[in-house]
Amino acid sequence: MMKKALAVIMSAALVGSLACAPVFAENLSDTSEGIAQFDGLTANEPYDFQIVVKSFQSTYWQAALQGMDQAKDELGVTYSAQGPASESDIADQVNMLNSAINGAPAGVGLAACDTSSVLESLQTAADNGVPIVAFDTGIADAPEGSVVCTVVTDNVAAGEVAAVNLYEAIKDQLGDGTVRIGEINQDNYALNIQQRGLGFINKIIELANADGYSVAMEGNEYYVNEAVGAVEGDADIILEVRVPAQTTVDMCSTEAGTILDKEDTIAVFGSNQTAAEGLLVANDNREVLGDTIVGVGFDAGTSIKAAVEDGTFLGAVTQSPLMMGYYCIYALTAAANGQELIDVPTDGYWYDASNMDDEAIAPNLYD
Amino acid sequence: MGEVILTMKGIDKSFPGVHALDHVDLELRKGEVHALMGENGAGKSTLMKVLTGIYTKDSGTITFEGKEVEFHNTHEAQEAGIVIVHQELNMVGDLTVAQNIFIGREFKKGIMIDDKKMIAESRKLFDELHIDIDPKAKMSDLTVGKQQMCEIAKAISHKAKVIIFDEPSAALTEKEIEDLFVIIRDLRKQNLGIIYISHRMDEIKVITDRVTVMRDGGYVGTLITEECTKEDIINMMVGRVIYEDPKTHSMVPDDAPVVLKVEHLNAGKMVQDVSFELKKGEILGFSGLMGAGRTETARALFGADPKTGGDIYINGQKVTINSPEDAVKHGIGYLSEDRKRYGIVVQKTITENSTMATMEKFTSGLFINKGAEKKAAEQYIKELATKTPSADELVVNLSGGNQQKVVIAKWLVRNCDILIFDEPTRGIDVGAKNEIYKLMNRLAAEGKSIIMISSEMTEILRMSDRIVVMCEGKKTGEIRIEDATQEAIMDKATRDIN
Amino acid sequence: MMTKKKSIFTQEVIVGIVLVALYFFFRTISADFGKYTTFLSMMDISYYYVFMAIGVAFPLITGGVDLSIGTGMICYALAGGFMIRQYGWPTGLAICLSIVFGLAIGLLNGVLIALMGLPPFLATLCTCMITRGLGSVVTGSFAVPWPTAKQPNGWFHSIFKITLENKTKIPLGLVWVILLMLIMQFVLAHTKFGRYTIAIGSNKEAAMLSGINVKFYHVMVYAVSGLFAGLASIAYGAVIKTVQPGTGAGMELDAIGGAIVGGVSASGGYGTIYGTVIGAYVIIFLKQGLPYIGFNANMQQIITGLVLIGAVAIDIVKRKVVK
Repeated sequence: MMKKALAVIMSAALVGSLACAPVFAENLSDTSEGIAQFDGLTANEPYDFQIVVKSFQSTYWQAALQGMDQAKDELGVTYSAQGPASESDIADQVNMLNSAINGAPAGVGLAACDTSSVLESLQTAADNGVPIVAFDTGIADAPEGSVVCTVVTDNVAAGEVAAVNLYEAIKDQLGDGTVRIGEINQDNYALNIQQRGLGFINKIIELANADGYSVAMEGNEYYVNEAVGAVEGDADIILEVRVPAQTTVDMCSTEAGTILDKEDTIAVFGSNQTAAEGLLVANDNREVLGDTIVGVGFDAGTSIKAAVEDGTFLGAVTQSPLMMGYYCIYALTAAANGQELIDVPTDGYWYDASNMDDEAIAPNLYD
Repeated sequence: MGEVILTMKGIDKSFPGVHALDHVDLELRKGEVHALMGENGAGKSTLMKVLTGIYTKDSGTITFEGKEVEFHNTHEAQEAGIVIVHQELNMVGDLTVAQNIFIGREFKKGIMIDDKKMIAESRKLFDELHIDIDPKAKMSDLTVGKQQMCEIAKAISHKAKVIIFDEPSAALTEKEIEDLFVIIRDLRKQNLGIIYISHRMDEIKVITDRVTVMRDGGYVGTLITEECTKEDIINMMVGRVIYEDPKTHSMVPDDAPVVLKVEHLNAGKMVQDVSFELKKGEILGFSGLMGAGRTETARALFGADPKTGGDIYINGQKVTINSPEDAVKHGIGYLSEDRKRYGIVVQKTITENSTMATMEKFTSGLFINKGAEKKAAEQYIKELATKTPSADELVVNLSGGNQQKVVIAKWLVRNCDILIFDEPTRGIDVGAKNEIYKLMNRLAAEGKSIIMISSEMTEILRMSDRIVVMCEGKKTGEIRIEDATQEAIMDKATRDIN
Repeated sequence: MMTKKKSIFTQEVIVGIVLVALYFFFRTISADFGKYTTFLSMMDISYYYVFMAIGVAFPLITGGVDLSIGTGMICYALAGGFMIRQYGWPTGLAICLSIVFGLAIGLLNGVLIALMGLPPFLATLCTCMITRGLGSVVTGSFAVPWPTAKQPNGWFHSIFKITLENKTKIPLGLVWVILLMLIMQFVLAHTKFGRYTIAIGSNKEAAMLSGINVKFYHVMVYAVSGLFAGLASIAYGAVIKTVQPGTGAGMELDAIGGAIVGGVSASGGYGTIYGTVIGAYVIIFLKQGLPYIGFNANMQQIITGLVLIGAVAIDIVKRKVVK
């Protein structure tokens, strides 16, 4: 039943865009181990779960609930969801979590506003044998036995998705003198940005090497040092990574400007919403993206969606709250059945002008 | 007097635009109290700052205990045995006496501060000086006089050989000054060299052995105190004899109208049920000791501090004054005792200061009419004979007396009829003092009414038409100038204390 | 008595020279920096920093500070954008809301500081936190887009930048920067409000005892700062387009730093608005130029910090000389 549902969602995406087809195939293979554990899953009882989200006010969380509804119908379980008025109401969320745990449900799905504030509640859950599934946000220091499964975006894979699509668009320009690919990373210390940035870099190197092209790294020391397979000196591709002094859109745009201004730049990737918006601000005055330079963004938001729509961006990678919600219910059901679980990384999904209105993609694209 | 301990010879120091010290000499012997005198700006403080390493001299030599020395900071000077007791006390109010005396060189027991030893050492110091102060008392609980004693004890604890007193008596009562002199004589007996800076001529005669006089950054001469008169010293300082004649009778006609009437004014502990009247053209002196509540009365009247009760009548009309803004509207101007803190904005020009209280007169719509502003400032520079190159001069560059004239101008521009002068000549040198006196008399003659708060008995007796005496927040007496004597005032000023 | 000759090399003039030198220095090293499009981008980003700097110069001159302008600007931009997005307000009304919101928070700062006696650092730190939280609450923690230039409500973009028929873009915002600079310099130098602002910074007690309604003017000083943070939020919405809640902290430091570099005394009592604007552009040129000559993120911050120390050192030396 599970596979069938997935197939419905996926095929919608596949039909939507032929160009995306190979990418999706790859996504599936990357994360299939986490998904495979749900093969043939049925609910032993009609469980009732409690879901605590960060808030209800955005389309992002509505997409997560949409995924949950889908899974709920497939598995014949029920859930009730609650969340504070805003993502900054940490105390409210902790209260909701506590009352959810006290009701002794079959399991609790949690997207924590603040990971350190929920630790005490998680200990109570562990003591009372209430399994917790963390989705959207991993909880690093969760007490032993509380969080049984974590459903979060696989950032390495998300970076790779961007790389594959970007490479596809520029590979015809390779081999004819040195070209430059830029990457704007908001910082070099947050784990998700590091993973995404390196996922992109290493995939580009891998794809280029496979076609017989060499890649040299430039820019931020962290990413230069962590890249695998780059050469020193002359190369067919220079991959330049820039990190702004502050994690603001305007500083990202300055760094982006330095890349867009270079004569040999043919493509650029902004690895999160701030970086991608910085790219767009820099492009405002230069108007080179979608013209001489291929741009790829990440996440959604009005500016980025508009850029994808009008062709400024080739496309962008979005995380999937829909999928996270979907697998959250699956993980809760499996845990209630008493199954031992491994974490479920969800993919980043490629979207461009052709598929952004698809029902599998659109709910993920918040404003 | 013993052998020479310190010689400063040909000391020269310039700042951008000013020749602050012009080849100044000073010789100090062991067991000597040596007065350093001169008008404000004569260079006394600069000379002492050169000596203690705060400023570097441009040329000249300093010989201390037979060796030529040059200190680079006060710490080096202290180490050598030259310490300065400042006019403004450098004490941390929230720490105890002992903690203050040993601040920066605390005794330690391991990593802990050894408070017990510091207290014991402080006690020993006080015993030596015959001072009765509890080393464990909080500094802010002590009177100004006691705090100064602590400052002296701190100086001595540095094993000082030379102690410089910079206007030590400015904030002390008569009794405290007597105590201070006992200590200074004691130190003289112990063969220390003492430099004593003061404006008070009487003190110089009482306590010092020799006097060195400076004028305009130059050295004028050194006299033996016993062999000279007050007038000799003043002549050396200013080159002329001065002073307005003291008043012998009131200049105010008996039927002069009352312009200000204060009834039962109350404001905290320092102002208790104060009532008085001020007549047109009168100079009403407010006398009393430090802390008698005179300034507090003025500030409460002016609306600068909150009142707890009392009525104020101006020209017979009852008025409400809750802020300085109200007071100014009713034609009252206040010249603070602490000019630099409360009276003027030193970094601004004469023009800007002069019109500060009267902005609306010089604004049309939203904008300031700078031409009219400057014209008004220039008018009063001329009228008050303020010495300045122009109305655009920064007030910081003026001498104390001329700064005071700028404050007066501020209230005259405002056309205030009632002026409160709080210590009008504090920190102003002898020459300029007289000009301020003349000016006040002229203003009174022109029909302005003046309240003059002063701690200088001579000033009170010279200027007032009538004298209100206060003690510990209460009005203790009112004396006509015809009946006023120093003794009569002191009797009322100390009535409650004895 | 001494009369000092006024040197023509005031801090403002020196900083002006530094600004020009900086521009040509970056140009020489990086040809890309000299491109017109780079200049346009730099101007785009400058507007909100400069507006904040002009506003915060007033509290600085009174010897205070306003730390709430960075998060405040984001909060006001969120509020205005949210109204367009969620309730379909016309852009003009939303702009008014943002500016009035800024003014209100400024007044709140003024009341806390001038009437209730809180230290400016503390009071504005509190409102800094409040505005940061408030922005998230209003929008449900979600990023808020302002209309893009091509959308029907996007006319306000042309306040800051217009495109001529031959596709040349003109940084119109620069005109507003210069205009506001002249107006506020005039306010500071030639109005009662400006005179009292300086008087409060030089000697608040003396100002009070001169019968000036110090409390009122002190409140107004912070209102001006808030008002300009409100103006900055419009520029931010026009340039960055998508406003993310939780951001903005730290931007006030660039604005304050700009004012200080431009000769506003860190201890109050002195400052000019043209100096402030020039100083803000020095900071912006550094932030924008250093990446072009290959300095990485860490070096950029170190250099900006050193420049600030230099500016404050000049201020301290200046005051010592006057003493």
